[in-house]
Amino acid sequence: MRKKSIAYLLIACLMISLLATACSGNKNNNSSAAGQGKGDEKVKLVVWTWETAKDGLDLNMEAFQAKYPNIEVEFQNMKSTDLYSKYLITSNTEDAVPDIITVESTNLAQIVQIDSLLDITDKVAPYKDKMSPYKWEDATKDGKTYAMPWDSGPVVMFYRNDLFAQAGLPTDPVEVSQKIQTWEDYYEAAKLVKEKTGAFMYGDSKTNSSNRVFESMMWQRGLWYFDDQGKVAVDSPEIQEIADYLIKMQQENLVYDARANTDQWGNGIRDGQVATVVGGSWHDAIIENQYSPADSGKWSVAMMPKWSKDDKYSGANQGGSNLAINKNSKHPEEAWQFIEFMLGSEENQVKMMSDAGLFPAMMIDNNPAIDEPSTYFNNQAIRKVYADSLANTYPLAYTSDFPMANKLMTDVWAKVFLNNSSLEQALKEMADELRSKTKRE
Amino acid sequence: MTSRLNKQLKIAPYIYISPYFILFFVFSLYPILYSIYISFTDWNGSGEKTFIGFENYVQLFGDKNFWLSLWNSSIIFLMYVPLMLFLGLIFASMLNSNWMVGKGFFRMALFVPNFVSVVAVSFVFVLLLNTQNGLFNSVLRNIGLIDNPIPWLESPWWARISVSIMVLYRWLGYNMLLLMTGLQNISKDLYEAAYVDGATKIKSFFFITIPLVKKMLLFCTVLSTIGTFSLFTEPFILTQGGPLNSTLTPVLMLYTESFQNFNFGYASSIAVCFFILMMTISLIQMRVFDDKE
Repeated sequence: MRKKSIAYLLIACLMISLLATACSGNKNNNSSAAGQGKGDEKVKLVVWTWETAKDGLDLNMEAFQAKYPNIEVEFQNMKSTDLYSKYLITSNTEDAVPDIITVESTNLAQIVQIDSLLDITDKVAPYKDKMSPYKWEDATKDGKTYAMPWDSGPVVMFYRNDLFAQAGLPTDPVEVSQKIQTWEDYYEAAKLVKEKTGAFMYGDSKTNSSNRVFESMMWQRGLWYFDDQGKVAVDSPEIQEIADYLIKMQQENLVYDARANTDQWGNGIRDGQVATVVGGSWHDAIIENQYSPADSGKWSVAMMPKWSKDDKYSGANQGGSNLAINKNSKHPEEAWQFIEFMLGSEENQVKMMSDAGLFPAMMIDNNPAIDEPSTYFNNQAIRKVYADSLANTYPLAYTSDFPMANKLMTDVWAKVFLNNSSLEQALKEMADELRSKTKRE
Repeated sequence: MTSRLNKQLKIAPYIYISPYFILFFVFSLYPILYSIYISFTDWNGSGEKTFIGFENYVQLFGDKNFWLSLWNSSIIFLMYVPLMLFLGLIFASMLNSNWMVGKGFFRMALFVPNFVSVVAVSFVFVLLLNTQNGLFNSVLRNIGLIDNPIPWLESPWWARISVSIMVLYRWLGYNMLLLMTGLQNISKDLYEAAYVDGATKIKSFFFITIPLVKKMLLFCTVLSTIGTFSLFTEPFILTQGGPLNSTLTPVLMLYTESFQNFNFGYASSIAVCFFILMMTISLIQMRVFDDKE
């Protein structure tokens, strides 16, 4: 009989140990995989990314495999926001998978803060001067660099030739740049477009804005939610000036009311109700393939307006990504070989630009691919405009509290338009909330 | 011999129920205790935790968004729960009656929304509720009920109504099924007796059906209360908690603080307060409805 109670005990132990192994199963697998990595056997890298980014990497995969036959790459696609929360959990459990993650610049500083990326300061050193300078700041913490810049989103103004022509505005990109130099000119043009064609100048939501136009206007003047000492600056007079301008555009009904990059917003573009898109270069693919494929030849690209004609910088950045290595990866060397191959070579970057629309963070002004005309955009050499914009972009960083600031800013507009709050008051409230939440000054 | 047998008999039940409890300890109790611990720290989700005592709680009680999230949930609760239980009871009685035809079809039709993926349903609702060219506004405009489009997702009150509509759509069938099981436990004799005494169908609905499914109604109310306060997917996809946080729920706020702002200590203090609050409300509801039969 004693035997039986021992048996019960054994069963209980078995169940507990089963559970324990179930929980740690992942780790065991990884360490055994790591063992195989040594020597000449194949090493497998897991890369977390999303569809559009993977399309770019795929273009260079064949060449990569030819050069590094011992490295096998597995891509796992997911939504960028899911990727960040999943990676947070990974870093918590010190998991060795994934080896490489893709991170948008908007969220990079935040991810760097959680101390789970590999320090690649020495490895990126040769590329320091080859990339757009603004890209490094979000990748750096305490003088150490944790990510390799991939692409940029130089902000330009996409505009509809036909609507501009009907409104009596010039349509040639050079003439448009001459005519619409400042945001004041842009406002005058918006009134003409509205009067003559009934179309709106751009699309943005009153109550659920993504703040992208606002942020571009801040960026080109070197202004941001935080100043260069890290203090909250959103209630400064210069920023209020910009917000005032955008509110004026809304109140005079010159803006198509839809959150940027939603289907509703895209419908406005498709139906010809929106005359311009002031946004990152990657909008070309969105306009051409997603929302307006039937309108070949109707769109052109010019520099975005400046605040004042004498401003030194005219460009801004919107979005763009980076690749980084997991601190707990078992194959950091191979991971870096992958990143260097994809992002460190001009040839491979150009391929991703030409065929996947990822405008490189690497400065490639002299590459002939920049001057290639685009059929959809009236045979204009649109990448030349992007390169100009990028060269004139203010070296600004998103900073780690950007996601929070962006969300709070959405409420500022909503307060103004729904509650009739004064802008000054709304910005003040936002600044205070940001100060208390981020413990900044 | 007998003492050994007794011992075994004493131990055996615990071993039989142990799988559940082991799973419960590992996957529920431990995380709960751990999050209570985190709620007293400042933690960005990785790296060092700094113990800061009750600071998170002090901040939370002064956070107007937290109170707003509770207020929003209460409003959404009032918007749909009474209506849902009322409709659920009516449909349940109809499907439980003798004269109804096509019972299987209607039961299915009402229940299907509940097991369709909530994410898919939410995306469809985003399209339906689109202000400029959504189906809802088009239909309402075409039949002449409205002149200007309704800002379904763009104004605080309409956004709450939209969330309520979607929750109603998803959970009506489920509550109807629960109420139906309640109805089936009511003896037919009571209705026959009432019929003999000359009571109409409507009278017996109000004086027999409703009092006797009270327990089930209570159960549904408690479930709906917890469900409403922990709403997540619907407001997350429909409105992202906006506009002006008018559809922010405690769980959505918890998600924002943890996975968007990387503020895990603060998020855990929300979770702890939320747990205490839900327990209190459930206890009160059970006390109020309990008439000590």
